[in-house]
Amino acid sequence: MSTVTTYRPSTLADLRDAMAESARAGERLAVAGAGTAVEWGGAPEHDAVLDTTAMSGLISYNPTDMTVAVQAGMPLRSLQETLAGNAQWVALDPALAAAGATVGGLVATADAGPVRHTFGASRDSVIGVTVVLADATVARSGGHVIKNVAGYDLAKLFHGSLGTLGVLAEVVLRLHPRPSATATLAVPCHAAAAFDLGGRLIHGSLEPVAVEWCGRVLLARFDGTAGGVEDRGRRAMALAGDGAEWLPGDDERAAAHWAAVADLVRGAEGDTVVRLGTAPDRTPSLAALVAREAAAHDVDAAMTSSPFAGAHTVRLRGGTASQHAAVVTALRAAAPAATVCRWTPGLRDQLPAWGEPPPAVAVLRAVKRAFDPNDRLGKGRFAPWF
Amino acid sequence: MSWSAELVEALGRENVITDPARLRTYECDGLTGYRVQPAMVVLPRSAGEVAAAVRVCARHGVPFVARGAGTGLSGGALPVADGIVISLQRLRRIMEVDPVNLRAVVEPGVTNLDISKAAAPYGLYYAPDPSSQQVCTIGGNVAENSGGAHCLKYGFTVNHVLAAEVVLADGTVTRLGGESPQLPGYDLLGAFIGSEGTLGIVTQVTVRLLAKPAAIRTMVADFATVAGAGDAVTGIIAAGIVPAAVEMLDNLAIQAVAASTESVYTPDTAAALVVELDGPPDDVAEQFDEVQEICRRNGSTKIMVAADAEHRALIWRGRKAAFAAVGRISPNYFVQDGVVPRGRLAEVLGRIAAMADDAGIRVANVFHAGDGNLHPLVLYSEGEGQHDRAEHLSTQIAELCVELGGSLSGEHGIGADKACSMPRMFGQDDLATMLRLRSAFDPDGLCNPGKVFPTPRLCGERPGPYRPHPLEEAGVIERL
Repeated sequence: MSTVTTYRPSTLADLRDAMAESARAGERLAVAGAGTAVEWGGAPEHDAVLDTTAMSGLISYNPTDMTVAVQAGMPLRSLQETLAGNAQWVALDPALAAAGATVGGLVATADAGPVRHTFGASRDSVIGVTVVLADATVARSGGHVIKNVAGYDLAKLFHGSLGTLGVLAEVVLRLHPRPSATATLAVPCHAAAAFDLGGRLIHGSLEPVAVEWCGRVLLARFDGTAGGVEDRGRRAMALAGDGAEWLPGDDERAAAHWAAVADLVRGAEGDTVVRLGTAPDRTPSLAALVAREAAAHDVDAAMTSSPFAGAHTVRLRGGTASQHAAVVTALRAAAPAATVCRWTPGLRDQLPAWGEPPPAVAVLRAVKRAFDPNDRLGKGRFAPWF
Repeated sequence: MSWSAELVEALGRENVITDPARLRTYECDGLTGYRVQPAMVVLPRSAGEVAAAVRVCARHGVPFVARGAGTGLSGGALPVADGIVISLQRLRRIMEVDPVNLRAVVEPGVTNLDISKAAAPYGLYYAPDPSSQQVCTIGGNVAENSGGAHCLKYGFTVNHVLAAEVVLADGTVTRLGGESPQLPGYDLLGAFIGSEGTLGIVTQVTVRLLAKPAAIRTMVADFATVAGAGDAVTGIIAAGIVPAAVEMLDNLAIQAVAASTESVYTPDTAAALVVELDGPPDDVAEQFDEVQEICRRNGSTKIMVAADAEHRALIWRGRKAAFAAVGRISPNYFVQDGVVPRGRLAEVLGRIAAMADDAGIRVANVFHAGDGNLHPLVLYSEGEGQHDRAEHLSTQIAELCVELGGSLSGEHGIGADKACSMPRMFGQDDLATMLRLRSAFDPDGLCNPGKVFPTPRLCGERPGPYRPHPLEEAGVIERL
C-alpha cells in the first residue's frame, strides 16, 4: 500500500471529522498511536491510517482528587513526568512506555508491566473514556470519579480492542501516590523455586508490589515507608536464603534488573515476541516447555513472567521463521491465550495471526458487528477469529 | 405448549413458583418502594437449568430477571410483570478454594462473606466488602460491580473477578475471562461486571483472593464540623497515604447508630471519621501516627483508637449497620449513592443540607469519604404523606452529584431507580453506544429489561433533557 492517506487530528472535533470523512470514502482504517504495538496480532488491511499522536494534550489534572484526563495520544512517559511533580503516578509500568507508547495505545493493547501484580492492567486504572466510532459517533462512558457504576463501562470493551471498535480520543485515569521508599529483592533461581518463594512472600503478607521472574532471577519489589520497606527487607531476605540480594531503590543493579525485563518484552528487530496467559502455578511448566522447544528447534529463547498474574512474555531470537513458527505453535498449544507482538520476518506466512479462539468468540464477533458493521477499523487484526 | 408449561417441564414443578402469595416475596429487592409481581419464579439448581429456563424465555420472548439475595438498593432485581424471576439462591456451592493460585471458584448464590470464610483457613480473603456482605451474593456483586468500605485501596468487584461462566440471553453458556487476566480480545468480562443483569446471567465466578494484611489499625476521630472532617480526609490523601477505608458519619447518622446499646460513637459530635489502615506492620504504624496528627491539625476533638479486633469490629458494626439504624429514628428512608470529586465534599454536603431544609425533610449522611461516594439517607414518613417529596429530594441529590462533576451511583447501580436520571449524566449518543453493547449480547432485550436505560414507559413520554455536564461547560470535556 504505497499511497496511504494519513489523518492526524489534534482535537476531538478533528478526529470526529476525520472519521466522518473516512466513513464517507468507505476507507478501511488502521488506528495508530506511537506505533509501538503496530505488529500485535494480524496485520490490518487499510487504505488510510489514523494517527493519534497529535492528540497529546493534558485535559485536566486535579492532584487532590488523584485523577487526570488526557488526550489519548499522550505518551504515558510524558504523563508520568507531569504527575511526578506531585509525587503521583498512574500505577502502570508497561515496557513499551519507554518507547513512547501512548495512553490510548496502552488501553487498546491491554498492556501492563510488572506492577500488574498489584494494580492490574490499564483497565484497572481507567475511569472514563471518550471514543469515536467508525460512523463518527462520539460517545463517553465512566467519568472523572474513581467510584462510578453508572452505565456500561465502554473502557473495558476498548481494552484489548487493537483499534477494531473505534478510536480512543480521551482517557481519564485514577492515580496513586508515589511511595516514599522502594527496594528490590533479587534471587537467582529456576522457575519452580521462584514460584515457591514468591508464594511465601505473598502468603507471609510482605506485600510485594511486583513479583517477576526474568533471566533466571526472581525479582520482588517492595514499596512503602522507609521503615516499612526496611523491615520487610529483613524478613524477605530471611525467607529467600543464600544468594539473595536486597537492592535499595537507588541501586543501579535494581534498575538494571527491571530494565532487562522491559528489554525482553520489547524485543528487537528480527525477534519474535509472544505474550501468554496461564494459571499462576503453570509458570514452571511453561518455563520448561519454552526451554525444551527452543532447544529442539535451535532458537534462543528468553522468558519473563509475572507468575501470580499468570502473565508471561517469551522472546525468540536467532534461527529461521519456520523454527520460530514451530516454537510458537507449541506455546499456543499449551496456552491458547497468546498474542504474537513481534513477528520475525517471514513468520506471518507460516502461522495464522491467532491460535485457538476463546470460548466467547461469538460475542466478540457480535460486539464488533454492533460497533463497526462495515468492518472498516483494523480489518483483519483479529483474523481468523473475525 | 405454553412457556409456563415448558418451564415446569424443564425444571420440575417443585422448582417453580406461581402461587401469588409466594410470588410476593420476589416483588421487590432492597429498594422496597418499587414493587412488581412476576408471572413466575424459577429456582434452578444448576447452570444447565438456568440455561434451560433462559432458552424457554428466548423461544417465547418472555423477559427474565436474575435475582440473588435481593439486597440491591436500586431496583436492579425488580421483576417484570409478564416475565419470570430466575432465583440463583440454590446455586450456592463453593467449588474450589485454591490457595496456590490465590483464587476461588464459586456459584453465584454464595454470599460475599462466605467466600472470605472459606478462604480464611489459608490466610486469604476476598477484598470487596459491601455493607450487606453477610447476605448479599457474589452473583449480585458481579451484576452491580459492588464496592464497599475498602474499595478506595482495593477496588471493586471488577478488579477481583478473573473469570465467569455466563448464560447469554439466547440460553447459550459461555466463559468470559480466563485463567489469567492477560487475554487477547475485548474485555467482555469487564464490560459484563456492573451491567446490572442486562447482558446475561452469571452461573459461576472465579474470584481473586488476597493475603490478609499483617496489621490493621482503626480509629474514630470526632470533629466539631463536617468541613473539618472533610479537610482531614483531604490532608490524609495529600500526604500520599492510601487508607484501607475512610468513612464519615454526620451527627444525625451517629444519633441513629448511638440508639443501639453497643455504639462506640460519641453521640453529640458533629461528624466522625472512621479511618482504617492495613498492610505491613511498620508501614502501618508509621502512617497511622501521621493520620492522627493530620486529624488533630484539622481540629479533631477526640481520637479513639481501636484497642483490639473486637473493638474494631464494634466500630465497623456501627458503621455497616447505619442504614438499618436509621430505621430507629425514621419510619421510612431512601438511600442515595451519588459520587462527587473528593475536593467537593464540603460543598455538596452544604447544598444537600440546604435542599433538605427547603423540602422540610431530614437527611442523614454516612459515606465513603475517601472516594467521594455519598450515601445520603433521606428520612421520611409514609404515614405523613412525605413519600413524593422525599423521592423528589432523593433524585435531586443524585443529580446534584452529576452537576458537581460526579456520578449518579458509586456502587448501588442505576437499576430501575435512577434510569430516568441517566440523561442528566450521559448524552443520547453515549446511551445509544451503550445500547449497541446490549444489542450484541441481548438483541431481543429480554434480559432484565427496564433497568439502567431510560424508557418512555418508565420515565414518561419525555425523558429529562440532556443538560451540559459542568465539565463540558468548563471546557474540560467536549461533546460534539
